Amino acid sequence: MERFIADLVKDFDSGKVDRREFCQTVALAALVYAAGDAAHAQASRGFKALGINHVGYLCPDFAKARDFYTSVLGMQNAPGREAQNRTSVMFGPEPGKGGQYIAIRNSTNAPPQSQTVVDHVCYTIANWDEARVRGALKAKGIEPGGREGSINLLDPFNYYVQLASAAGENAFKR
Amino acid sequence: MEGFVAQKLNDYATGKMSRRGLIEMLTLVATTAYAGSAKAQQAGVKAALINHVSYTTPDFRKAADWYSKAFNLDQVGATDHDVALPFGKKGDKPYGVTADDVPLTHLIIRTRSPNAPPPAGPPRPRATASVDHVCYTIADFDREKVKTELTALGATKVRDSGTASVMASDPFGYEIQISGLASTALSGGG
Repeated sequence: MERFIADLVKDFDSGKVDRREFCQTVALAALVYAAGDAAHAQASRGFKALGINHVGYLCPDFAKARDFYTSVLGMQNAPGREAQNRTSVMFGPEPGKGGQYIAIRNSTNAPPQSQTVVDHVCYTIANWDEARVRGALKAKGIEPGGREGSINLLDPFNYYVQLASAAGENAFKR
Repeated sequence: MEGFVAQKLNDYATGKMSRRGLIEMLTLVATTAYAGSAKAQQAGVKAALINHVSYTTPDFRKAADWYSKAFNLDQVGATDHDVALPFGKKGDKPYGVTADDVPLTHLIIRTRSPNAPPPAGPPRPRATASVDHVCYTIADFDREKVKTELTALGATKVRDSGTASVMASDPFGYEIQISGLASTALSGGG
C-alpha cells in the first residue's frame, strides 16, 4: 500500500493525476484495503501479467538461429510463420495456453551498445539430468560451461544462453 | 483438440489461412498433441519454458519498481545489485504448465557494477545477435486501455503492433510489447 500511495503521489506531483483523481484513487484504495484485498488496490495501475509471450531476437542469419534453437533446445519451427527473413520457434505449452516463442528476424545491423539490454535468456529444462543435458549438448558439438543445475553456452551468434533446472534457477530460492 | 481443428479449418475456409499453413499446423498438432514422455526424453534437451530473462540497466531498483508497478509483480531475493520479479506467487505454477519441475518465469533486473571483477574463464566473444524486445502476455487485453495505461506509466513510443498487441519503450529505453492471449507463435505479432 505504501508503495502504491508513494507512486500515486509522484504521479500527482508530476501532474499525471489531478487532485480529484488522486482523492478518488486513495479513497478507493482505502476501501479495497479495508475489505482485506490489498492486492486489488495495487492492481488499480498496471496490467495483470500472465508471463512472457515471446522474445524478439535479431541476428544476421535467421535460418542458422532457427536450426540451432530447434535442434539443440528442441523448439519447433512455427508452422506457416516462416518468411524470407524471419521465423518463430515455439516451445512449452500449447500456443495461447502458456506457450512461448522466439521471434527470430534477420538484421544486418550490429547490436546497439545500449546501457539497458537483455543480456541473456535462461530456459528451464524439465526432468533435469545433468549428465544427459551435458551429453546431449556435447553430441551437438557444444562445450557447455556452468555449474550444477545451470549450464551456459553461446548460440551461433555468441548470444549467451543459460539452461537450468527448477532447483538451479528459481526466483524463490535465490 | 476438435475445437482447435474446427477453428483452424474455419480459418482456412474463410481465407485466413493458406492450404499449406493448415496442413503444416494440423500435422504438427496431430504429431505432438499426445506425444508421450518417452519421446520427450529421447529429444535430449528440450526447453520447457523461459526460466528468466536477464535485464541489465544502470539503476536496477528504479527499473524493478517500474516493472513491479506496470505488471503487478512482486520483488523477491533482492541483493545490492539485482532482484527477481516472478510472474506469480510462491507455490504457483506457471500459466499453462502442469509439470512440477518448471518454476515460474521471472525477470532478473540487475546492474552490473563497473568495479566488478571480470567473469572467470576466457573472454566472451562479442555477440552479433540481440534480444531487441520482450513481449508480455496480459489478461483482459484491450488495445486502447493498454495504450492509455502504458502512457500513464511513463512508457514512450506507444504504438499498435499486430492484432492483439501494443509496442512501446519502457522508461529506460528498452522495447516492450504487450499482448493478449490471442497473440501466439501461430498468429504472429513478434
